[in-house]
Amino acid sequence: MLVELGHFALVLALAFACLQTVLPTIGLLRGNLALAQLSRPMLWAQFFWTLVAFAVLMNAFIVDDFSVKYVANNSNTELPAMFKMSAVWGAHEGSLLLWALILSGWSVAVSVLSKRLPSEVLNHILIILGLISIGFLLFLLLTSNPFERLDIIPTQGRELNPLLQDFGLIIHPPMLYMGYVGMAIPFAFVLSSLVRGQLDSTWLRWSRPWTLVAWAFLTFGITLGSWWAYYELGWGGWWFWDPVENASFMPWLVATALVHSLSVSEKRGAFKHWTVLLAIAGFSLSLLGTFLVRSGILTSVHSFAADPDRGAFILVFLILVVGGSLALYAWRASLMRSQNSFHWLSKESGLLVNNILLVAAMLSVFLGTLYPLLLDSLGLGKISVGAPYFDAVFVPIMIPAVLAMVIAPFLRWKKDTLARIFGILKPIWLGVFLLFVVSLLMVDNIFVALAVFLFIWIMLHSLTLLVGRIRQKGATSLAFLGMIFAHMGIAIFLLGATVTTQIGIEKDIKMNVDQPITIKGYEFVFKGVDNFSEHNYQGHKGRVEAYYEGELIANLQPEKRQYVTGMPMTEAAIDPSLYRDLYVALGEPLGEGAWSLRIYYKPLIRWIWLGGLFISLGALLAAFDRRYRLPVKNIGAKSRAES
Amino acid sequence: MSIFIWIGLMLIGSIAWSIWFLKYPLADNGLDLQQSNITLGKQRKLELQSDLEQGLIDQEQYDQALEEISSTLALELNQAHVKVSSQSNINIWAGVVIVLLPIFAMGVYQNLSNYKPVSQAEVVDSQPLSLEESAANIKQHLDDNPGDFDAWKMLGITYFELGKVELSLNAYEQAYQINSQDPRLLVEYASAMISANDDQFVGRPVNLIKQALELDPNAPDALYLAGMFAVSVQDFELAKALWNKALTVLPEQSSDRQALVSILQELSRVESGNISNTVTVKVELSDKILAARSADDYLMIYVKAAQGRPMPIAIQKLPIKAFTGQVVLSDMNSVMSEKLLSQHDQAVVVVRISTTGSAMKQADDLQVVSEVVRIADNPIVTLKLD
Repeated sequence: MLVELGHFALVLALAFACLQTVLPTIGLLRGNLALAQLSRPMLWAQFFWTLVAFAVLMNAFIVDDFSVKYVANNSNTELPAMFKMSAVWGAHEGSLLLWALILSGWSVAVSVLSKRLPSEVLNHILIILGLISIGFLLFLLLTSNPFERLDIIPTQGRELNPLLQDFGLIIHPPMLYMGYVGMAIPFAFVLSSLVRGQLDSTWLRWSRPWTLVAWAFLTFGITLGSWWAYYELGWGGWWFWDPVENASFMPWLVATALVHSLSVSEKRGAFKHWTVLLAIAGFSLSLLGTFLVRSGILTSVHSFAADPDRGAFILVFLILVVGGSLALYAWRASLMRSQNSFHWLSKESGLLVNNILLVAAMLSVFLGTLYPLLLDSLGLGKISVGAPYFDAVFVPIMIPAVLAMVIAPFLRWKKDTLARIFGILKPIWLGVFLLFVVSLLMVDNIFVALAVFLFIWIMLHSLTLLVGRIRQKGATSLAFLGMIFAHMGIAIFLLGATVTTQIGIEKDIKMNVDQPITIKGYEFVFKGVDNFSEHNYQGHKGRVEAYYEGELIANLQPEKRQYVTGMPMTEAAIDPSLYRDLYVALGEPLGEGAWSLRIYYKPLIRWIWLGGLFISLGALLAAFDRRYRLPVKNIGAKSRAES
Repeated sequence: MSIFIWIGLMLIGSIAWSIWFLKYPLADNGLDLQQSNITLGKQRKLELQSDLEQGLIDQEQYDQALEEISSTLALELNQAHVKVSSQSNINIWAGVVIVLLPIFAMGVYQNLSNYKPVSQAEVVDSQPLSLEESAANIKQHLDDNPGDFDAWKMLGITYFELGKVELSLNAYEQAYQINSQDPRLLVEYASAMISANDDQFVGRPVNLIKQALELDPNAPDALYLAGMFAVSVQDFELAKALWNKALTVLPEQSSDRQALVSILQELSRVESGNISNTVTVKVELSDKILAARSADDYLMIYVKAAQGRPMPIAIQKLPIKAFTGQVVLSDMNSVMSEKLLSQHDQAVVVVRISTTGSAMKQADDLQVVSEVVRIADNPIVTLKLD
């Protein structure tokens, strides 16, 4: 019975999403306050019923209710309780329910925290968010119902993909969805402004903190995904240019461009066209990413055709969102005229160049991800686009973007002069040159040398800027510190990614018991393999001792698991540190106690995720800048006095 | 409380919530859009002033930017905005909500839900069904839907799992009468027939396997059974060809694949005369034990290494009611395909009675362990549980 109440709660959530959209729209059109002000209570009810539906589905997993098809397909009685709960978002239907829940959660946050927005503006925004919710709830109920029942109830369920039975995968999807769904907020701000025909300072000022928070979550979600792939997949990689990864990376690139574009629009009233288009593109790519990952299109274009209902819904929804937004943009384009000019050498120009490069990078990823799918679906053959394409196209676009990234903050708004800017940057460039020359003495790899150069370049510029601002009393805002953190995060990431890729060492070897092997000064001794058994799997656990300068520094125990469903899994053993990881994965038994092992030496790999954390932290710092905490009484003083 | 009462309560709560906020709408926060833009314009001017004081811009740029802020504000103030004030026709809208919300919610729910309430619904919500309950539910479903092919097939599988082979064959036959072109059914049906016929590959099951392979030459289950048939007629080459073909279609991660690899290895040993070792275990269960334990309790008979890890090397698990007094463990029963029984030297035999059948020893399990035996001797071990 509980499951049916969950299903009914989801239907009620849809009903309230409709009320959230229809009644306030009528209220705004007719000037009826009672109807217009319904957007918030209807949204809260929508959130409540979505939460009830989610809780019921989670309960169905916990109590092993295999009468629910989704539970029977993704869980069984042997699954540990923690993974039963995370199995809720382990497949398509549940993850879309999580999407809908997070969307309504974000909307509630906007409705509660946007005290500085006039009610009329907030109502418009919530109507747009209600429309998006309707789309998702309809998609859930009509094509991806997580509460669908089985006529014949199995006694045991299937297995949750063992890859998902991991802490990283418990938190990675919710964080990523927080970012994806968060992109709906700047989108709703933009669309509500286009609908109202008021692309004004209010929209620009109050949409930026939401964009920054969404960007922080997106960065954190992608970083978590990379970290998880590294330790869980057993091949030591952290990014594979896999279409699923690209699907999250494209909105991130656009969101990065958007937070910069918004800063120009907010401060100087310029780039409004650009900002509007980026907000639309950011959310559209988030939608595209979610649907690409969850519809199965990426694994096979034929699975798209295999479920025509789901496929057709996806297409119609995407066309409505993208087409509708662009049509609205075209209609209101004349409102975005700006008389605010700027010189070619100005902060505006610097940010514009960065924006163009970020969008070009996004388009290169978009092409590499979707072109093979397009060819395949048209029956024009199969092509494989992998790391070589992305390395060749994406990296050269991003190098000038990274170089320009730290120059722009030194430029003045409106107009600057080469003489002034050279005067400021000359000592920094001298410092960069000297440090680079010194570092070249220690580096013999051209790519690492380039990464070291970029690291020094970003760090010296950022630190100079920071020290300069600290000296000017009162000039260091949270937004400024956020920018410095985020830029330093890019530097840390770049160095970590390049060094680990270029000078990391991988050995795929056969090892006999007590046989040592030395890699980069670390001695690894294979001590054999034990069998073991856990609740829902059994397997082999290797014992590898790692020594440095004769001292035992780690006992590594890589595992090879066999789950009850028969699916094998490799669990790497890692000795982590900030300068290097020692990473051991167990291969196959080769007879007489010998095993194949993969041993990696991964210098600076933790810097990749440390960089991601710096960027996320930077975004959050900027989102809480005092400009976005303007006292409400200051905004409404006059109108209250008038009323 | 019945589901309809709960749904009614959910609807009443939803309607009450909506009506309340229609009657007592949330107050407008009193912020005016134009005033908001003016305030933000002023704040931008202050920020500009701060930039000037910190030397981030010069006076000329300050003047230009100030002018831009003013012109932008002028543009924004010219834009029209909606005035919302009246609260008329509230009762009409309340009526619309009272009528439409239940109609919409119930209409959508009725159209989408495939739930059929049954008397044991509460049980379904709290714990998974046993095999017997599943079979009963399927039978109940078939009373209303006698033409449901999938249900007959599922009933056949469930009865077979329960050890009710005759009932299983009947169910399969019903399914076969509805659809004789389903390779999966043909394989399951053949498998049940072979089992009922003391594992003899004669007569109709062989035809069913052939028919399944004609319909789907790559069906792994059919290839497996066909291989077993080939072995039964001593045609090892054909068996190997069929099983190797099955290997090409089974996914890499499949447990069936690993079992098949193990069988092929065993077959190679048989062909080369290097027949694997066996451990024959005879178990005597005292009357006291039989009276104290359920016939559905599991008898777990396994071999483990005499020293070292306590993991089973080869195991057979079966309900007490299905136990005939003796089992023979061979490489076919090995837990790990890469660590077969015959690759071990000294071992002990363990017999355990378990209520749950869990691999881990439970508190109420009864267990007896043999003396150390040598696998190479093909030992016969007799153990008594009392």
